Amino acid sequence: MDKYVNYITILPEAILSLVAFVLMLVDAYTSGQKRRLYAWISLGGFIAAGAAIGWIAVLLATNATAVPASTYMGMLVSDPFRLAFSTIALVVSTLTALAAVAWLDEDSLPAGEFYSLLMFATVGMLLMASAGDLVMIFLGLEILSIATYVLAGYRRRDLRSNEAGLKYYILGSFATAFLLYGMALTYGATRSTNLEAIRVAITSGKVDWSWLLLVGGGMMLVGLCFKISAAPFHVWTPDVYEGAPSVVTGWMSTGPKAAAFAAFLKIYIAVFAVGAPIMGLAGATQKALTIIAITTMIVGNTIAMVQDNVKRMLAYSSIAHAGYALVGVIANDWRSVAFYMLCYGVMNVGAFAVVAAIGKRYDRETMVEDYRGLAWDSPVLSLTFAIFMFSLAGFPMTAGFMGKFLVFKGAWEKGLSMLVIFAVLNSAISVYYYFRPIMTMYFSASADGDRKRTVLGAAAVAALAISVAGVFYLGMLPDGVLKFFALSSK
Amino acid sequence: MLPITNFILLSAVIFSIGAVGVFFKRNIITILLCIELMLNAANLAFVAFASYFGDSTGQLFVFIVMTVAAAEAAVGLGLVIAIFRNRETLNVDEANILKL
Repeated sequence: MDKYVNYITILPEAILSLVAFVLMLVDAYTSGQKRRLYAWISLGGFIAAGAAIGWIAVLLATNATAVPASTYMGMLVSDPFRLAFSTIALVVSTLTALAAVAWLDEDSLPAGEFYSLLMFATVGMLLMASAGDLVMIFLGLEILSIATYVLAGYRRRDLRSNEAGLKYYILGSFATAFLLYGMALTYGATRSTNLEAIRVAITSGKVDWSWLLLVGGGMMLVGLCFKISAAPFHVWTPDVYEGAPSVVTGWMSTGPKAAAFAAFLKIYIAVFAVGAPIMGLAGATQKALTIIAITTMIVGNTIAMVQDNVKRMLAYSSIAHAGYALVGVIANDWRSVAFYMLCYGVMNVGAFAVVAAIGKRYDRETMVEDYRGLAWDSPVLSLTFAIFMFSLAGFPMTAGFMGKFLVFKGAWEKGLSMLVIFAVLNSAISVYYYFRPIMTMYFSASADGDRKRTVLGAAAVAALAISVAGVFYLGMLPDGVLKFFALSSK
Repeated sequence: MLPITNFILLSAVIFSIGAVGVFFKRNIITILLCIELMLNAANLAFVAFASYFGDSTGQLFVFIVMTVAAAEAAVGLGLVIAIFRNRETLNVDEANILKL
């Protein structure tokens, strides 16, 4: 195996694309909607891709020659970073595939396209996790985004979903254009699109026009902040998250966001974190990102408090969580950000799966008042939702706590004490709005006595069970995952 | 040969026209064209740098961007058709069910 072509390093992406194509063919050649069959095929694809990731992990740990760190002329990089973010992408997409079964039935939407788009999007996320080159980051981002635009507008006859898809499309492409132009200028300044070469060029001060790097870096930062929905570039988030189908929203707020954080970290490590005094780029970026992180947390948490729609509330909460994760980026600590995104992925996909189940056909019942007295009609579902809310608020023993704890601890050790204190205060404020739906579920009388009990299918039950198990596993026994992310080897 | 700065200035001007257009145009098709303008401004910068450096990476990037832009336009027009069927207008100000 040479350093150019290596079929093992591309195996997870290859498997997923292949299964997605097979699924499209199966969808075309079977009569009627065989929703269960499509779900099983995509589950098989995700599990096979996960196995391939596991194989790469084993090879990386034992046999250094079989999996070179960099293949395809530096386009693909196989390192713990890739493994961590690929795992997040696969976990989030698998949970979404399970949660989607009941929703697609309920809304009688075509299932074949949904699962193949979900898998293509996951291929994009995997490529972003393994990118070693700006070309690959751009390509992965676009594979992901184009599939996500369609998924956001998946309810073709629902105006809200149409609007969500279109808004996401316009602002997403706008952000991509900024990112791309920034990449072009960075290429002009450093004469390379390879992240490692860019890092070396900046460290050794071999930059032709430093103002190009400054402008290019700034534009990449703007594009990335759009993608992770950091304030003041967050305005699209509430609209898109409210209008998109709940299951898709749960996935969009976790998977693509984790992939965007992967790209952010890669570019941050290559361009902004190096200490070379090129017009004070590193210092200026840190200051700018600190301000962005603080604004993001304030905007997310304060506006979430006044929302009456649970989906919109969770959208603002998602903005706030991006702010917490940004603290980890500023501390240049990718492992804690990866762990945070895994925790956030598990709990948020779970929370939105419950919102989808309660919302019924076309997400009609997503207001807080629709949750009145739900604990008496569907006790298990309410308890599950309460667990996710506790975890999002960051209560001890849950994944949300452990994720925040690791990010804030890492940042504290890097001397970002003010930022950490601010983030902890914000996290305390957030308890208020996470408790509102819980209070409504448990302490308000049901509006109409004849509300039907929410019935979940087996797949949705499996998704929720895995999410709840994940919340407690990551919250209480994070050692295994941390070891996999090579945190303990630090 | 013209100095490289001219090309970069031209691409910056095209990019700015596109970016301003996204904010101020109200028709969705025009907005899509403005985004296309921004992507192609980046392409221009890439080929200018690539020919200046005598390096092929920038040109390769342009081919990838062109392919991606075509795919993106296809999806964008699909979304536009979906929204037009349900609403019969292409003015973004009237796409306002979700409050901003």
